[in-house]
Amino acid sequence: MSTKNPLHIPSPFQADLPDMTPEEKEQQYVHSVYQAIAPHFSATRYKPWPVVEEFLKTMPAGYVGADVGCGNGKYIGVNDKLFMVGSDRSSNLISICGERGHEAMVCDGLALPYRPQFFDFAISIAVIHHFISPERRVAAIEEILRIVRVGGRVLIFVWALEQTGKRDFDKETQDVFVPWALTKKPAAGSSGGEKQKKKKEPKANSRPQGVKKKDRKNNNSAEEEQTTTAVVQDEVKKGKIKEEGEEDGSVVTESLSKLTIQGGHTDSNSSNDKDDSNTDNNLLQDQSSTADSFSSSSSAPTATAHTTEQPTSEDISAAAPVVEAPVYNRYYHLFHKGELEDLVLRTNKASIVQQGYDRDNWWCILEKTHHE
Amino acid sequence: MRLITHNMLQCHVKGCNANNFPLELQEVVLEQEEAEMNEDFLRNMLNKIEYEALVATCLKLDINDLPATMPADAAYNDEFLQILHRVILETHIKSGKMVCPNCQHNYVIRDGIPNMLLAEHEV
Repeated sequence: MSTKNPLHIPSPFQADLPDMTPEEKEQQYVHSVYQAIAPHFSATRYKPWPVVEEFLKTMPAGYVGADVGCGNGKYIGVNDKLFMVGSDRSSNLISICGERGHEAMVCDGLALPYRPQFFDFAISIAVIHHFISPERRVAAIEEILRIVRVGGRVLIFVWALEQTGKRDFDKETQDVFVPWALTKKPAAGSSGGEKQKKKKEPKANSRPQGVKKKDRKNNNSAEEEQTTTAVVQDEVKKGKIKEEGEEDGSVVTESLSKLTIQGGHTDSNSSNDKDDSNTDNNLLQDQSSTADSFSSSSSAPTATAHTTEQPTSEDISAAAPVVEAPVYNRYYHLFHKGELEDLVLRTNKASIVQQGYDRDNWWCILEKTHHE
Repeated sequence: MRLITHNMLQCHVKGCNANNFPLELQEVVLEQEEAEMNEDFLRNMLNKIEYEALVATCLKLDINDLPATMPADAAYNDEFLQILHRVILETHIKSGKMVCPNCQHNYVIRDGIPNMLLAEHEV
C-alpha cells in the first residue's frame, strides 16, 4: 500500500504519470486512494442522484441488478423491490456496504465474477472515469454488458470535462489528478486514514434489501433514516462532514486548492462558499491540530502533508494561514461530450437509449443488443 | 453473502472457462436471517438459477429442503417459493471459502463478504 514519491499538488492538473503499467497506475492513484479515504468518502455519499434514483425506481419489481463500483452501496437500497448486488475494488468501501446489510463483494470491474447474462440491469456510477486508458474503459463497459442479458439496460455516469460547477477544469486536459483532503483526524492516529473505524459511518439511505424482520420490530426504518440523515446534515453544518456536491470531493478540498494554488482559481460564487466560510475556518484549525499526526505518518498511501501558503482569496482570509492535511490524488479521465457514447458503440453490443448531463457528469442508458 | 449470490458466481481466472461453476463451498459458517418475501423476485429467478447446482450446493451444506428438480408449476407453487426464499435469500454464508472445481482457485469469504479479486497474472 505505501507509495513513494507522492504527488504534491492538491489541485486538478495534468496527469503526467510516471513509467508504470496501467494496473500500477490505477492501484496507486485510484485503488489505494479509495482504501485510504473510504470512511470520509463514504460520509459524503448518501444522497442518490435523481437520474440514478429514477432509473432504479422504474425497474420492474423483482429485477436483478449489479452495481459495479458501488462504493458504500448508497444505490442498493433505493428500490427494495429489486435485488441488487454491489461490487467495488475497495474492500474498505465494501465493508461499509456489507455492514448496511447489502449484498456486496470485492472485485475488479474488468473481471467481474458473475455468470454471463445473469442480470436484468446494471449501473456503474462514477467508475469508468477511473480507468486509465480508452481500451480499459471500453473493456470495463464490455464486462458490464457481458453480465447483463440481451435487452437489459445499463446506466453509466462519468465525470464531464465541460463541468462548470465547483471545479473549472482546463478544457484541454482530460487526464487529471483530483485531490481528496482528509479533514478528520484518523482514529488510529499516525497510522493513516485506512484504519479509521467504519462505525462512525452515518447510515442514511442505507435501507438494506430484504429488511430483517427483527429489525423492523424494533424500529421504524424510515424514521431511522430521517434521523440519521438529520445527523449527517447536522454534521455537515458543523463542518464535520462535507456534503456531496459533484462526484468529487469536499468543499474543504476546494478551499485547500484555493489556498495552495499559486494564483489559483476562485469560485466564490459557488453556493457553498458563504455557508461554509466559518466552518472552513474551524476545519482548517482542526487540521492544524492534527497536522503532526499526519505529517509524521509515512504509511498513508499517496498522501502528502501539505503546507499551504498565505491565503489569497477573500472569503478565506480569516482562515489559519498555515495548514497541513493529507491530500490524496485520484486519477480521473474527464469525458468530453459524446465520448461515453463513442466508447459504448465501440463494443458493438449495445445501443444508446437515453443520454444526458447532470451534476457535472455525462450519463447514458444503454440497452444490450448482442451477446458475443 | 446469500446463497443466491453464490449461484451467480463463477471462477473468472484468465483461461478458466470450463467447469468453473459452481464454486465449491468449503469450511462454511451459515446464518439464517429473516427477510421479506418478494414473489416477483423469486419468479424472475426461476429461469436464472442453475437449479441443479443450487440443489447440489445445498446438499453439501446439509440443506435438504429443495426438491431435486424444480416443480413444473414453480412460479405459482407457494410452498416451493417459500422454500426457495428461505434457501436463497435468507441463508447467508458468513465465512468460508469458494474453490473453483477447475483451477482450484480459492475465494475467501469473511464477514459475509467474498473477495473475488484476482492477482494481476490471473486477470
